[in-house]
Amino acid sequence: MSSRTCSPGHVLGALLAVLALLAPALARADELRLWHAYRDAEATALVEIVEEFAARTGHRVELLAVAHESFGSKLAATIPRGQGPHVFIDSHERIGDYRLRALLGDAGPALGPDADYSAQSLAAVTQDGARWGVPLNAKSVALFVNTRLAGAVPDTLEGIAALPMPAGVYPLAYEAQSAYGHMPLLAAFDGRMLADDASFGFVGPAAARSLAFARELVERGAVPRDADGALVSDLFRSGRAAFAISGPWLVGQLAGVEFAWRVVPLPIVGETGLPMRPPLTVEAAMLSPQGSASPAALDLVRALASAEAAAVRQRLAGTLSVRTDVPVPEDSPVLAGFRAQAELAAPMSADPAMRSTWEPAFRAIRKVLRGQASPEDALAEAARRFADVRRPPPPAASPTPALLLLGLGLLLVAFHLVRRARDPAARQALRASLPAYRYVAHSVVVVGLLVFLPLIVGAATSLFAGRPGEGYYVGLANFFEILTARGGPLLATGSFWFVLLVTFLWTAVNVVLHLGIGLALGLVLSRPTLRLRALYRVLLILPWAVPSYVTALAWKGMFHQQYGAVTGLVLAINEWFGTSLEPIAWFSRFATAFAANVATNVWLGFPFMMVVTLGALTAVPADVLEAAEVDGASRWQRLTRVTLPMIRPALAPAVTLGAIWTFNMFNVVFLVSGGDPDGSTDILVSEAYRWAFTREAQYGYAAAYAVLIFLLLLVTTRLPAWLARRPRGAR
Amino acid sequence: MVAVTARAIVKRFGATEVLRGVDVHVPDGGFAVLVGPSGCGKSTLLRLLAGLEDVTAGEIRFGERDVTRLAPRDRDIAMVFQSYALYPHLTVRDNLAFGLNLRKTDLATIASRVAEVSAMLGLDLLLDRLPRALSGGQRQRVAMGRAIVRRPQLFLFDEPLSNLDAALRAQVRVEIRKLHDQLGATSVYVTHDQVEAMTLADRIFVLNRGVVEQVGPPRDVYDHPRTRFVAGFLGSPAMNFLDGVQVDAGGLALPGGQRLAIRDPERFGDRLQPGRTVSLGVRPHDFVVRPDAPDLTVEVELVELLGPELQIHARLGGRPLAVCLDSQSGVARGDRLPLAVRALHLFDPETGQSLRV
Amino acid sequence: MSPADQGRKVSLAESIGAHLLLVVAVAFALYPLLWVVSLAFSGAVEPTPRVLPVPIEPTLEHLRGVAFSTLQVPGEPDRWLFGLQLANSIVISLATALVGVVIAVPTAYALARFEFVGKNGGMRALLATQMFPAVASAIPLYIILDGLGLLGTRSGLVLCYATTAVPFAIFQLRGAFETIPRDLEEAAMVDGATRFEAFRKVVLPAARPAIAVTALFAFMSAYNEFVLAHTMLGREEMYTVPVVLQRYISEFSADWPKFAAGSLIVSIPVMILFYIAQRHLIAGLTAGGVKG
Repeated sequence: MSSRTCSPGHVLGALLAVLALLAPALARADELRLWHAYRDAEATALVEIVEEFAARTGHRVELLAVAHESFGSKLAATIPRGQGPHVFIDSHERIGDYRLRALLGDAGPALGPDADYSAQSLAAVTQDGARWGVPLNAKSVALFVNTRLAGAVPDTLEGIAALPMPAGVYPLAYEAQSAYGHMPLLAAFDGRMLADDASFGFVGPAAARSLAFARELVERGAVPRDADGALVSDLFRSGRAAFAISGPWLVGQLAGVEFAWRVVPLPIVGETGLPMRPPLTVEAAMLSPQGSASPAALDLVRALASAEAAAVRQRLAGTLSVRTDVPVPEDSPVLAGFRAQAELAAPMSADPAMRSTWEPAFRAIRKVLRGQASPEDALAEAARRFADVRRPPPPAASPTPALLLLGLGLLLVAFHLVRRARDPAARQALRASLPAYRYVAHSVVVVGLLVFLPLIVGAATSLFAGRPGEGYYVGLANFFEILTARGGPLLATGSFWFVLLVTFLWTAVNVVLHLGIGLALGLVLSRPTLRLRALYRVLLILPWAVPSYVTALAWKGMFHQQYGAVTGLVLAINEWFGTSLEPIAWFSRFATAFAANVATNVWLGFPFMMVVTLGALTAVPADVLEAAEVDGASRWQRLTRVTLPMIRPALAPAVTLGAIWTFNMFNVVFLVSGGDPDGSTDILVSEAYRWAFTREAQYGYAAAYAVLIFLLLLVTTRLPAWLARRPRGAR
Repeated sequence: MVAVTARAIVKRFGATEVLRGVDVHVPDGGFAVLVGPSGCGKSTLLRLLAGLEDVTAGEIRFGERDVTRLAPRDRDIAMVFQSYALYPHLTVRDNLAFGLNLRKTDLATIASRVAEVSAMLGLDLLLDRLPRALSGGQRQRVAMGRAIVRRPQLFLFDEPLSNLDAALRAQVRVEIRKLHDQLGATSVYVTHDQVEAMTLADRIFVLNRGVVEQVGPPRDVYDHPRTRFVAGFLGSPAMNFLDGVQVDAGGLALPGGQRLAIRDPERFGDRLQPGRTVSLGVRPHDFVVRPDAPDLTVEVELVELLGPELQIHARLGGRPLAVCLDSQSGVARGDRLPLAVRALHLFDPETGQSLRV
Repeated sequence: MSPADQGRKVSLAESIGAHLLLVVAVAFALYPLLWVVSLAFSGAVEPTPRVLPVPIEPTLEHLRGVAFSTLQVPGEPDRWLFGLQLANSIVISLATALVGVVIAVPTAYALARFEFVGKNGGMRALLATQMFPAVASAIPLYIILDGLGLLGTRSGLVLCYATTAVPFAIFQLRGAFETIPRDLEEAAMVDGATRFEAFRKVVLPAARPAIAVTALFAFMSAYNEFVLAHTMLGREEMYTVPVVLQRYISEFSADWPKFAAGSLIVSIPVMILFYIAQRHLIAGLTAGGVKG
C-alpha cells in the first residue's frame, strides 16, 4: 500500500485529466458542416455527391445525420452559438418556423435560373418574395398496388374499398388516424388543414364529410384500425393489403417481396368526383445565416442542387428530383408513378401555424374513427384546441413590481447575512465549518453552475412569453392562464386541474404497485430455503437494465389493438378456453390507456423496489421475528407488525424518491399512450413538454408548468419526509 | 517512554460541559485507569489525550512536549478501540502494517515488526485473513497488535475488553498487564468495570460527572475512598450505606436501635461531634461472624451461594444490608446473624466527602 | 418469509407457491424483452397477433446491418462507425460514473461526518433539484455550456450527465458513509493518517460496494440518455448509441427490426454490468439506504 498523500487538489487534478481525455474534437475552421436526416441509400447518394464536391473544390465537408424529429431543436440549440451547420437538408414546410427562429439565411444566390425547377417546388421555398432554400427532391405519398391481389386499379376510392378480399387481407392500408394520412382524403373533399390566412382549416362541412368517410372505411373493415406507418408497410409487404397509401420510403422495404407491385396516383373519391391530393414535401438545401455568408457553402448548395447530383440521387436512392432538366428514366415506373402523383399534389403549407394543426387534427380524427364523437363535435373541439395553442401571448407587464420585490428580497438577505456575520456564535460556527467546506466546495461550484443555475434561469423563464430570443416579461400571466385553464372549463381534458388529478392518480397507482410488487418479490426472494434464488434475482432485475425507451416502445407494440401480443394472448385464451373475449382497443379509452401506461411503468420500476426491499430485509434480525412468533403472532401479523415497520425507515426515502421520479416520468406516458385518448392520460410533465416542443415552443408556458410541478412536489414530499424522520428520532 | 500530564482540562460540547477542570498525571511507564460510570467523561478524556477531540481549555503534555493542539498522528500514540476498529478491507497483516506504512517505514522493518508482534500475540496463522473471518477474541488481539507494532510512546485503551465474554475478558486482562510490563510504555486505560480498574492499574482515576473524584493506587483508593461516590463505585458487591445515622459519644446509633462503637475515633479527628448525622458505609466483605461480641445483629432474608462465598441479603432495622461470608458459615434464611465490622467509612451526608482526616 | 424460517422445514405447497409467483414475475419481466429479441432476429414481418415471441425467418441481417454500419467521410476511408459509437457510449458513461462519483464522494462524506453551516439547507436544495423537470432547465444549460466552450463536446456531455447524477449519488453515498463506524477513521488517524488519508484509505475502501452501485446508477443514466446527447453532439463519430437508435424510428419510416437489433446490442454491456454488480447491488443499496 502506498502512503502517498492525496488532497482534494489531487482529486480535482484527476477530474480535469478525465475531462482532458475527452478533449473536444474542435471543428476545423475551413470545414463546411452539412446536416441531413437521411439513412441507407439516400445517405449513400449524399456521400457520393459530397465526395465529388470535396474532390472538385478541395473543401472539407463534415456530414451529420440528425434525427428528423429533433432537427429543429438541434438547429435552434446550435446555430445561434455558431456551432450549427452551414447547410442543411430539410423539408420545406419547416421554413416558416425556422425563419421565425432566425435559423435561415437567404438561399437566393445559390438558386440559379428559376426555369431549372418545377414551379411547385419554387413556390414551396418562397416566402415573402425571398427564397429560403434550394429545392432538391419532391416527396409525397402515392398508391402502391399489389398486382397479384388487385389486377385492375379501380378509379375511385369507393371502388378500392369494395374489392372482395381473402380473409385477413385489407383492400387498402393507410394511416387513417394521422393528420398527414388524412390530408389526401381531406383534399378530395375540397378541404384543407390550414386556411390561407393561417386560421384552422380543418373545420366545416368538407372536413366533417371527409371524417365521416374515413370512419366508414374503418368501420367497414376496408382499412385497418390504429395503423401507423410501420403497420401500413408491414401489411403491404406481407401481402395483407392490396393497396397502400405510402411514400417513397416503402420502396426500399419492398425489395425481395414475392408479388409484383406498382405505384400510381391516388384515386378519386367518387362522392365528390375529386382526386385525393396528397401534400407534397419538397426537400430543400437550406443555409444557416452563417452559411449564407460563406461562398463555399453556397457552392456546396449549388452542387447539391445540380442536375448531376439529382441524377446520382435518382440512380442510387430513387428519389424524385424537382429539376426540370432531370427526366424520369424510362425504365423506372415507380418513379414515374411518384412523378405523376407529385404533379397532382399541393405543397404542404410552410406557415409556422401548420405545426399547430397536427395535434388537434390528430386527436379529432382518432376520436371520430373510434366512434367516440361525431365529426362535427370533434372538429369543433379541434378548432378550440388550435385556437388555444395559437392564442395571443399575454400582454407585456411592467417588471417594476417584480424588480422591487427582488430588490427587497436581496436587501433582506443581505441584512440577514450582515447580522449573522456580526454574531460571534455564527462566526464561530462558520469557522468550525471550514474543514467541511474543503470537501464540498467543488460540488457546490459544479452543481451550482450546472444544476442550480439552469434551474433558476429556467424557473425565471416562466415569467416571460414570446418566442425564444425575443421573449418579454409578462409577470405571473402564464401561471394565471394555466391555473384558470386558459378560460376553459377547469376540469376539461388538458386543463391544469384535470392533468393534476391524472398525475396524482398516476403517481399513487404506480407507487403502490411498485411497492407492492417489489415488497412481495423481495419477501419471497429473501426466503433462505428458496432454490434458484440468484437466477430469479438476475432475471427480475433485467427490466431495469434495458434502456427504458426501448422497452417503452416494446410495450406500446404489445398493446396494439390488432396485432399486439396482448391481443394475441386474448385470442389464444379464446381459442383454448372457448371464451369470446373482445380484443381491447387499449388507447381508445382513458381507463385502458392509463392501465397500459401503468403496466409499462410498473414493469420498469418494480426491480428497484425489489432490490431496496431485499437490502432492507437484511437488517431485520431473525430473533425479533422469532420473538414475535413465540408471542403468538401469525405469519401475517409478523409481516405487518414486525417486518414492515422495521424496514420502513429504509424504504421511506426510496419511496419518496420513487414518487418524485414517477411524478416526472415523461418517457412512458409520451412513448406508450402518447396522451391518448384525447390527451387525457397526459401528466403534468408531458403536458409541459408539449408546450415546449410541439406547441410553438412556448417555453415560458412550459417553464410555468415546471415551476408548478416543482412547488407541488416540494409541498407533498415534506409530508413523507416528516414521517420518515420520526422513527429515526425515536431510536 | 513518556509521562502524561493533563492540566485543568475543560471540554464542552455545545452547552454541555463534559469535563470540568480535570487534572491527570501518569508517570513515565505507568498504567493509569480512568474509571467511572457511563457519561462521566472518561472516554472523552481519553479522546482528548488521543487528539480526536479538541480541548475547550487546558493543556496536555507528553513528557516535556505540549501536544494540546497536535493532530493525533503527531502525538506518537496508539489506541485500542472498544469496537477494535479493524479496517474491514485489509487482511490482518495489512491491518498491523497500516500505521507503519503511513509512516513510510521500510518494508523490511515492517515485516520484522509484524512477525514479532504476531508471534507475541499468536496471530501467525491469521495473518492473511480478513477481519470478518476472525472471532471476537482474535479481533481483539489484532487490535492490540496494531497498537503494539508501532511502538508508540503511549498506549490508549478505550474499553477494549467490553465486547468479550467473561472468561476471555479475565484472560486478556492478564495479558494486557503482562504486555505492559514487558513493553514498559505508558498506558491510559478507560473502563467502567471496576475489576479491570483494580487489577490493571498502577494508578486509578475515578471520574464522576466530569471531575476526578479520587486518584491513587488501587489499594489505596479501595481502602480509603475519599468520597461516598468512590466508595460506592469500587467494590463488588457495592458498599452498604446507611444514611441518617446519628453520632453519639464514641459510637453510632443504628436503625432498629442497635449501637455501633467506633474503635478508632481518632481517625476522624474532631468531626464526630455527638448529635451530628452521617452516612455509614461498610463493605459487604468487611463483616465477620462474631457470636461472642457482635457489633450488630442482622436478620437474614436470603442466602446466595456464589461458590467460595455466601452473599447474604439481610436487614438491619428494616434497611437492606449485603453481607459476604465464607461459604462454610452455615447461615440460613431467617437466622439472626451476629456480626462484627472490620472497617467502616463515614461520609458527610451533604457533601459526600469522607469524614476521615 | 424471512430469516426466521432458516433451517426450518417449509411445506411443499408453500414452496410451490413461491416458485409459481416468481415464475409469473419472471415471465412478466422477460416477455417484452423477448419481443425485442424476436424482432431483432426476424427476417420477415407477419402482421398477425401472436403470443410467443419467436422470430419469423430468423436472420442476422439486422444485427449485422446495425453493427457494421460505417462512417463515410468524403475523401477518407470508411471507418467502423458503430464500434466508434458504442465506444463513445461506454467511454462517456464510464467518465460520467467516474466524474459523478468523484464529485459526490467528498461531499457525501462531509454531509455524513461534519456539522457545518448550510448543511441542512444544502441537503434540502439537493433533494429539490430532483423535483424540477428538465424541460425548463435544458435551454439555460446549453447557454452555460456554450459559455464554457463545452457545447458540442463529449466532455460537456459528461459534465452535464455527471452533475445531474450528483444529487442522487450524494444521497446514496451519505447513507453509506453514515453506516461506517467513525472508529475506523479515528483509528487510522491515531495510526498516523491525516483526516483525508483516513477518508481515502479507510472509509473509501469500506464503502466500496455502495460506491460501485452509485457508479452503476450514474453509468446507466448516461448510457440511456439521448435527448441531451442528440442536441449536444455535433459529429457523427461522437454520437452515442441511443442517438443512433433514435434515428431508426423516424416518423415516416420506422425501421423497427434495426431498432430492435441496436437495442439488443446496447443492452448487452449494461446487462453484463448488472450481472457483475447484482451481488453488490443489494449490499450497496442497503448501506446507502437512499436516505433522504
